[in-house]
Amino acid sequence: MDFSIRAANLDDCKDIARMIMELAEYEKVSDHVKVTQKDLEQDGFSNNPLFHGIIAEVPEQHKTKEGHTKIGYALYFHAYSSWSGRAIYMEDLYVMPEFRGKGVGKALISKVAQLGLAAGSHQLNFTVLDWNKPSVDFYLSQGCFDITTTMGYHCMRCEGEALKHLAQL
Amino acid sequence: MEYKLRKAEPRDVPDILRLVKELAKYEEMEHQVTLTEKELLEDGFGDTPFYHCIITEIQGQNSSEDPKVVGFAMYYFTYDPWVGKQLYLEEFYVMDEYRGLGIGSGILRHLSNLAMKTRCTGMMFVVAENNEPSVQFYKRRGAEDLSQEEGWRLFRFDKDSLVKMAAPSEE
Repeated sequence: MDFSIRAANLDDCKDIARMIMELAEYEKVSDHVKVTQKDLEQDGFSNNPLFHGIIAEVPEQHKTKEGHTKIGYALYFHAYSSWSGRAIYMEDLYVMPEFRGKGVGKALISKVAQLGLAAGSHQLNFTVLDWNKPSVDFYLSQGCFDITTTMGYHCMRCEGEALKHLAQL
Repeated sequence: MEYKLRKAEPRDVPDILRLVKELAKYEEMEHQVTLTEKELLEDGFGDTPFYHCIITEIQGQNSSEDPKVVGFAMYYFTYDPWVGKQLYLEEFYVMDEYRGLGIGSGILRHLSNLAMKTRCTGMMFVVAENNEPSVQFYKRRGAEDLSQEEGWRLFRFDKDSLVKMAAPSEE
């Protein structure tokens, strides 16, 4: 199947927002999504973008029955490890179900790896849900390792009331 | 004891690296630190900083002594496409002999304030599950363990795997 991988632009935000919601539904937490298409436009495509995007697109003849040609995406940003320096954090990687198994996911993550290396990164980090076996298997087959299991690192968050309390506002 | 919390400056880089190595030693991982002073300088104080740093210093016994850097936090901004901008706390450490004085709480308070002022909806970080004192310190302050509660596992590609993945496909 023919597909292309390219950097996301402002016009892609509508499809990115759509696919973010599809990914959240797959992860069974769509009610957690508060970010809108407008937020993505401001946060990703202003002077100081908070993230970068990559889009996977298919030609017109392969579009979905709803008419979508943008069928996968990855979101990433620059991070930093206090032990090894520059790193890339891949926040999202998603391919629409009917386009899986054709190398699109691999091409997306490969592009993130290329861009990360070009920016001087020494590692690529991301999170996966423990029950998401297809994704866990895919990533392990690409050569990564599970830091939560091997080193016991847990991801933590302080938000809402807890954050306000910490700030003692 | 009087301590001062301030933004790190280029001259603080040797102290930052010293404290990074001390923390790594505390986590029994000192051999994993490959970061150099040169990289810290370029990456934190160049045109596009990859990280930000705040440090805590304590004034010496007499005024002619240089203040001593006894704690620091390294952070940067990340993005959660569900809830927006986050402050990511990469490193947070207070030297052993200066703990229990409120320095750590002071750093966290400063960072939480900063997170709210810069429109972050949360502050995120990683803790080793066997680091009981730290886990309790954070949970007491309302942090949620996303790995335990939601099943998120942190994965990593190291440099060699990254290079392999970036290579063009043979298909």
